[in-house]
Amino acid sequence: MAAQTHPLHSLFTSLPPTLKTRQNNLSKPTTLTVKCKSISGRKLRAAVIGGGPAGSSTAEALALGGIETFLFERSPDAAKPCGGAIPLCMLDEFNIPSELIDRKVTHMKIISPSNLTVDFGKTLKPNEFISMLRREVLDSYLRSRAESSGTTLLKALVTGLDVPTSADKPYVVNYTMDGSRRSLSVDVVVGADGANSRVAKAIHAGDYACAIAFQERIKLPEDKMDYYRNLAEMYVGNDVSPDFYAWVFPKCDHVAVGTGTVCSKQDIKLFQHGIRERVYPKIKGGKVIKVEAHPIPEHPRPVRVRGRVALVGDAAGYVTKCSGEGIYFAAKSGRMCGEAIVRASEGGERMIEEEDLKREYLRVWDTNYITTFRFLDLLQKVFYGNNAGREALVELCGDEYVQRMTFESYLYKKLADGNRWEDAKMVMNTIGSLVRCNLVGKDMQHILLKERLFA
Amino acid sequence: MSMALFSSPPTHHPTSPPSLSPKTHLTRKTFLYLKPTKSHFLVSIKATDNGSGATVASVAATVEEEKKASEAPDAAGSSLGPNGSPAAAPAVKEVAQFGDPRWVGGTWDLNQFRKDGKTDWDAVIDAEVRRRKWLEDDPESSSNENPVFFDTSIIPWWAWIKRFHLPEAERLNGRAAMIGFFMAYLVDSLTGVGLVDQMGNFFCKTLLFVSVVGVLLIRKNEDIETLKKLVEETTFYDKQWQATWQDENSSKKD
Repeated sequence: MAAQTHPLHSLFTSLPPTLKTRQNNLSKPTTLTVKCKSISGRKLRAAVIGGGPAGSSTAEALALGGIETFLFERSPDAAKPCGGAIPLCMLDEFNIPSELIDRKVTHMKIISPSNLTVDFGKTLKPNEFISMLRREVLDSYLRSRAESSGTTLLKALVTGLDVPTSADKPYVVNYTMDGSRRSLSVDVVVGADGANSRVAKAIHAGDYACAIAFQERIKLPEDKMDYYRNLAEMYVGNDVSPDFYAWVFPKCDHVAVGTGTVCSKQDIKLFQHGIRERVYPKIKGGKVIKVEAHPIPEHPRPVRVRGRVALVGDAAGYVTKCSGEGIYFAAKSGRMCGEAIVRASEGGERMIEEEDLKREYLRVWDTNYITTFRFLDLLQKVFYGNNAGREALVELCGDEYVQRMTFESYLYKKLADGNRWEDAKMVMNTIGSLVRCNLVGKDMQHILLKERLFA
Repeated sequence: MSMALFSSPPTHHPTSPPSLSPKTHLTRKTFLYLKPTKSHFLVSIKATDNGSGATVASVAATVEEEKKASEAPDAAGSSLGPNGSPAAAPAVKEVAQFGDPRWVGGTWDLNQFRKDGKTDWDAVIDAEVRRRKWLEDDPESSSNENPVFFDTSIIPWWAWIKRFHLPEAERLNGRAAMIGFFMAYLVDSLTGVGLVDQMGNFFCKTLLFVSVVGVLLIRKNEDIETLKKLVEETTFYDKQWQATWQDENSSKKD
């Protein structure tokens, strides 16, 4: 970065005074404040690699802003392994038509290691629900919307990205389309290509720890499917996941039973067996129709913007801890990045720089969402670490205030405002539950020791 | 896995239905150690929750025939990890369910815990600890027909304090008193400043504060390491988020 600005400086000194310059005695404009270089004769060109929710939102925002956009997607019809749950605010903000929604989940059950079951959802209003969609349906809708707003959609596999050595050269995207190798020169690249992002590798963005999510899609008999009509279940316990939760999510005509973990990826089959056992009476007689797994990033990459390349969505690592939610943040970060590029380039008229991306996109994103992410990380540390914490979590979820706060924060992505008195009560209850469950947990260890001693 | 149940020498036959069996035999989970493998399983009477049927589960034979042969290799193979063998497909598996005559309808029947006319909360806590330990080693599927209702908030707050907090508090106060007395004596002998005058001094007050905090936070030798790791852990996630901004300060080559 420091090395890159110098060539730019010398470039700009020769340009006509369309640039903002400092007033000084010299007639030749000095370029201490560097504004974007004006591109003459053409609009800014951007390539968005990856056509999921993040890529499509970026492409749509870019195209609407007047930038020449190319969206690369290698398999438009693939069904991504995913929970497929999106919050209410996404329906509004991204104008998702309700025909795409397979199910509206209005009830959730969360089940502790000792099978204490809590009904979540007593506080939901009639128009509030969690939408379950099929990813292929959602993704293709967003892609077609991006296309209709002016993006050029390319069904191609991107094989590499050439990062330019000097600042005035373009980025070259190498891709294969219909069996032939091609390349495209662009000014800006947005990497929306997911957990194994090639763009991230090309810009040496660094690695991140990933969780693995594993799920089986199971077709249930009618009566059992009816139980899950608008109910999703969350299971916690060491038998189903050492640091995450296992789930049963209803989909269009089947359920997805799965689990995830960060630290014990090699035991994922064991945990899947564990969740199958825990749900056994409810899925008895079902048939497994698909088995799928996918990595989920646990935290942002060390570098999210470099040069004129930005990462969004899963490629950047915007997945919350505790709930593992990524679709909304992918789409939102994509849109934010697209709008940032439009703003910084003034509608595609000017070239943008790394500082613009950082200022308009990263800074805004971090300011808006880092608290949410930090808070969920704290929750995960406290409540998912051991069985005692999980029992405390389920106990707490029985409280109506907690349910209301949780749902409102999840559905609207805004810090729900409750009243101070209830907040204080909630904090006291949290501490109480944690203390009690940890005491029980410690006693459980003592039993283990006693048994060993008497062996 | 062969499950046998002996609460006492085999000559004892509880002929009455489980719910009326003498409490003393059932308050203790019986432990049977299998052949010397790493694993062990808590066993319990396979009492039925709702009291339906009169399965007198104490007879080993009846219990054994419910277990499928597939359980036998599992016992040898799996250790303290999650129950069930990963290799075997989830065939029909009969595992002894958690059962206790005082566990009725998904919660502990507090009437069965009466002692001297009052509920014996210590016994309730013990029972719940055993139940959770049982389930941790032997997870059971959640069922809609027999939901679990018990949670720790049913036990009143003072029962927790009496059992867990008070002994610990006694220990900590004792430590603090010993340290306090010794330090007061030491400072007095070194400086000649008596206890009352020590309290007026800022440095002494700081020392006092440090000792109190030390006694509270550091109770075992391992706690020092734990605290250090805790501080690092709490800030780790934040560091990961800020990593992208660190590049501004360091020069890197691509």
